[in-house]
Amino acid sequence: MADKLLFDRIDEPGLDTIEVYQRRGGYESLKQALRMTPEEVLQNLLDSGLRGRGGAGFAMGKKVSFLPRGGMDKYLVCNADESEPGTFKDRELMQKSPHMLIEGMIIAAYAAGANRSFIYIRGEYELQAMKLEAALIEARQAGFLGDDILGSGHSQTLVLHRGAGAYICGEETGLLDSLEGKRGNPRLKPPFPANQGLYQGPTLINNVETLATVPHIIKMTGTEYAKLGVENSAGTKLISISGNVQRPGNYEIELGMKARDIIYGLAGGPEPGREIKFWFPGGSSSPVLKPEDLELGYDFDSMAKAGSMLGSGAIIVVDDSNSVVDVALTLAKFYRHESCGKCTPCREGTNWTVKMLQRIHDGDATPMDLDIIASVQDQIMGNCLCVLGDAMAMPLSSMVAKFRDEFEQYIEEARERAGLGAAPDPSPIEIAGAAA
Amino acid sequence: MPRPERQFVTFSIDGREVSAPAGVMLADGAKYGDIEIPVFCYEPKLGAPVGACRMCLVEVEGIPKLQTACSTPVKDGMVVHTQTARVREAQNSVVEFLLVNHPLDCPVCDKGGECPLQDITFGWGRGVSRMVEPKRHFRKPLELSPLIAIDRERCILCYRCVRFSQEVSEDYQLILNERGASSFVGTFDGHPYVAPFSGNIIELCPVGALTSRAYRFRARPWDIEGSGSVCTHCPAQCNVEFTVRDERVLRVLARDNHGVDDGWLCDKGRFAYQAIHSEERVVEPLVRDPQSGELVPATWEYALDVAAAALSEAGAKTGALAGGTTTNEEGFLLQRLMREGLGSADLDARAGLPPVAPETQRALAAPALQATIPDLEFAHTVLVLGTDPIDDVASLDLRIRKGVRRNGVKLAVATSRPSALDPNARLWLRYAPGAEHAFVAALEAELSGAGGVQELCDKADADPKAIAALAALLKDGGEDVVILWSQRLGSAPLHALLNVAAALRLSERDGAGLLEVPVGGNGRGLREVGVQPNAGAGLADAKKAGKSAREIATAAANGQLEALYLLHADPVRDYADRRLWEAALSEAGAVIAHASLLSGALRATATVVFPAESYAEKEGTIVNLDGRVQRLRPAIGRPGSVRAEWQVLADVAKRVGLDVGALTGPMVTRQVVAAVPFYAGLTLEEIGGKGVRWQEREAAASAPAAPAGPFEAGEPLAAPRPNGALRLGTYRSIWAAPEVEASPALKFLSAKQQAEISPVDADRLGLDNGAKVSVSAGDASVLAKVFVRGNVPAGTVFLAEATAEQSATELLGEEPRLVEVRPA
Repeated sequence: MADKLLFDRIDEPGLDTIEVYQRRGGYESLKQALRMTPEEVLQNLLDSGLRGRGGAGFAMGKKVSFLPRGGMDKYLVCNADESEPGTFKDRELMQKSPHMLIEGMIIAAYAAGANRSFIYIRGEYELQAMKLEAALIEARQAGFLGDDILGSGHSQTLVLHRGAGAYICGEETGLLDSLEGKRGNPRLKPPFPANQGLYQGPTLINNVETLATVPHIIKMTGTEYAKLGVENSAGTKLISISGNVQRPGNYEIELGMKARDIIYGLAGGPEPGREIKFWFPGGSSSPVLKPEDLELGYDFDSMAKAGSMLGSGAIIVVDDSNSVVDVALTLAKFYRHESCGKCTPCREGTNWTVKMLQRIHDGDATPMDLDIIASVQDQIMGNCLCVLGDAMAMPLSSMVAKFRDEFEQYIEEARERAGLGAAPDPSPIEIAGAAA
Repeated sequence: MPRPERQFVTFSIDGREVSAPAGVMLADGAKYGDIEIPVFCYEPKLGAPVGACRMCLVEVEGIPKLQTACSTPVKDGMVVHTQTARVREAQNSVVEFLLVNHPLDCPVCDKGGECPLQDITFGWGRGVSRMVEPKRHFRKPLELSPLIAIDRERCILCYRCVRFSQEVSEDYQLILNERGASSFVGTFDGHPYVAPFSGNIIELCPVGALTSRAYRFRARPWDIEGSGSVCTHCPAQCNVEFTVRDERVLRVLARDNHGVDDGWLCDKGRFAYQAIHSEERVVEPLVRDPQSGELVPATWEYALDVAAAALSEAGAKTGALAGGTTTNEEGFLLQRLMREGLGSADLDARAGLPPVAPETQRALAAPALQATIPDLEFAHTVLVLGTDPIDDVASLDLRIRKGVRRNGVKLAVATSRPSALDPNARLWLRYAPGAEHAFVAALEAELSGAGGVQELCDKADADPKAIAALAALLKDGGEDVVILWSQRLGSAPLHALLNVAAALRLSERDGAGLLEVPVGGNGRGLREVGVQPNAGAGLADAKKAGKSAREIATAAANGQLEALYLLHADPVRDYADRRLWEAALSEAGAVIAHASLLSGALRATATVVFPAESYAEKEGTIVNLDGRVQRLRPAIGRPGSVRAEWQVLADVAKRVGLDVGALTGPMVTRQVVAAVPFYAGLTLEEIGGKGVRWQEREAAASAPAAPAGPFEAGEPLAAPRPNGALRLGTYRSIWAAPEVEASPALKFLSAKQQAEISPVDADRLGLDNGAKVSVSAGDASVLAKVFVRGNVPAGTVFLAEATAEQSATELLGEEPRLVEVRPA
């Protein structure tokens, strides 16, 4: 595999200071970029094939090119509200190499013509916010932020804003509302942020890792970067591995690496004697995959073909010591808690799903309830204002479909524990299947 | 900003070719093809769609995901499906989700029978329930305010009420507390939601979560009938629908008319119907008994005889006043009774304000100079001059906010008292109370470059820099300028105002002009039908000029008038110089009044009181501030022995020897139309439910010729220097009205006297918020509580007029006054 880019000597002491960062060649990409025209920088981003690392995987260069040209106020916002369960890569990156993100943001803003930029960081990341704040002071003092940066004519402000710990503020328009001082609710799209985002102005929003990759692209050129990885999945990717593995943590891989090599090779696989039951390839919102899918390459297309997604690059491994019902209930409770409540299917669907799963857990359910759970997930999917509803419905749907037998067995056992006996026959009135 | 032009696009929906205006959302566009798309959160009156409820999901060919019809504009060639299995499934799903927590207590819910959730469940729901889990519970019902009950279990969290509070009325009180499935509507800290337009959220609510406490459990939808009419409580004349059950008005709803009210009502318009059925209502004629000296019930024949005898005896020594709720027909008959029957021209309907020369009135009424109410929404710049719409013409407050928020209208506010619209204004200016003339003259001088601005600003106590900024905004902010000004400016500044209008060339553009806020509900109509001392019907010069209201008061107080005819007028409460009016009423030989509630003054001095019809019982026409002739239609029968008042006036006239020749109400309307040249040919049918602006009819060409100007602006008086005393400014609160006091639901809002002073003066006088003070001028004084208000200019105290007690009219005379404020 190629050398690491973002995590190259990430644990080097003092990398969070501008001195060490610059000694290692930091901010050279910025200087190089400022010698280019914004269009040339943008071309490099387009050439690189870099896809957004936050979850949706949208081509970054294309996103930049959507911003209107012209002299209006434009904004760059870095989404550092890393809240997807299982995802903790941005955390390490910001903590250990904050200048890499700042440098990337200045280059991206230069390409997009944005003069005002913000980092929206989740409230729980206190240490990371402190590190970033310190780095920002250093960057301003060094003249990398402010007016007429390095004599290029490009001016830029960068403000760090701490959120208050809402998952929905990681959704880009919810983030913008929160940044504007409002309740963090997603907005209706269109208009898309590229046209009307922060304060109604054209806005580019990208994830931490995406922006931190930008200096590397400039350094090695977009076409060189595109040679890393596999088709449609260029470059390296930070992945967070958690759950039932022996060496959980963050790893940088080249996209396309075989999933089995990641989970068993890098993370050591489950404890001896345990078998993998299923795994989330891209955070808790991704449909689960089974052990047989471990032979797939870990890249955008392969994951999509398997019916799931690469998402934020967070692999959660669940072994046979866990019940799928418990995982489903825990997950559903998380999404119910984080639903903003603005749109009906998500607000009511997450709530209802938790209530049904709770009944299964408490031994007060019948297999017919599984049909309703599945149907409710279908009713949520694609019908919501933002993707939070889908984020619950997709994995839950996959769990019920792939582990129906286990669910049914759990229902039976739970009923016995609760002293309710065997489940009655399904009602002769076909109501459960009405929507299925 | 100019109005958007309407162009039509053609698209296909469920296989039909439909043509709809470009830019409208699919939810509305579908209606052009007779297809209904169900919605909950979508309400165009609330502004941009939010797409929250997801009820309106439809399939648009070429777009993979279902789209919300509320937020998808129609486009040429678009192909839409609303009936496919996929769409049905999505609709079924959203209904099912909404019912997950809805209590289904329809049998005991006020909304049951007129409930969008019921209708949509029936039309687009699955028809079965799969939900067995417990629903969420709240304490219920709770008082959201004394006017509104909230049932949070019924709430489907559509956000409509919150959006109204945040984006329409801009009182910013209602919010969603908590999040997700725990969300609930309320105020931030649980304080009651009291705001002038709060009642609109009851009508906006698509379920029974927000109900009117006054209407709760009073009727079911199948018990009631709706009856359209117009509210006469203020000059906005909002269109309303009375909910009637068994000859009683139980509720007032908005009847959307974009030309008038934009579909909103203030809480006075919504709840003051209760005064119609007040126990205190006069429902039979009252005549003063010579023996006991008390007003006692009498037969109509006797009351008419007594009134006619007194009027015949007084003859030309009769003065008459008409109040704002008087219809054109009643006003017209009153002026016939006075002019033709009694030979007197001493009549007025201007609430004690000085009369305006007929040629000035004609110049102001020129159709080309007339702005419309919707112009406020689309103008480049709006200047609000000498009025606070929230108090004087409530629903226009919302219209102006809408223009600023949605269309970027540039707003300037020029008043003596701080205005509720100040925060929305690009520019707000202050001048001393009573210095309106100097202020408008200064603006005129600044616009024309005539010089002398500094001196005029000194007289007005206004900031010349602010005047310069205002002039620049009016000149350079775009051609469409609307000046909303109040009749309360008086007569002196009007020539300067006309010159300002000429300098800005307001008569040359359709979307620009002047818009006057009259003092009474039908102030404009009464003027146009000739209820004024110096002009007859159609703003023609009067053959014989008579006394204005104030001259009537002085003459009556001096014994020069023998009879006063008060048609819905309460000068003791409403007009300046309360003590002069008290003297006038007690010195006049006879006081004949039409009233529905007995004021203290009438109780003490009236000779005959005819019971007045309420606005829900009346038939007739009134004129809105932009010249829209509107029609009052009876919704309920008259209580007791109340008679149609046009008929009472005709009967009185007959007994003094004038046969007015009218056998029905519409015959009087025909007389009015025949007498006012610019109403020519107007019929009740043409007026219809939405009214018609006379300026837009052919007969407008018969509007009296207006002098061209420029007008002699006159020499303004300087505002008095405070010199330790304070200037007195007054205003009339929306809540200072007998109908508010007579409505149990609104009583808690009725205006109490308070002295608004600046922090500087509060400090100097050693007064804190809430301190009791006496405000006095000479030997007259008023008791009030101090309200220290940050943006009141130093040197001025503001008091409310027409409060039930301690009204500032006690202190008001012809000239601006200085007052002393002392602890009481």
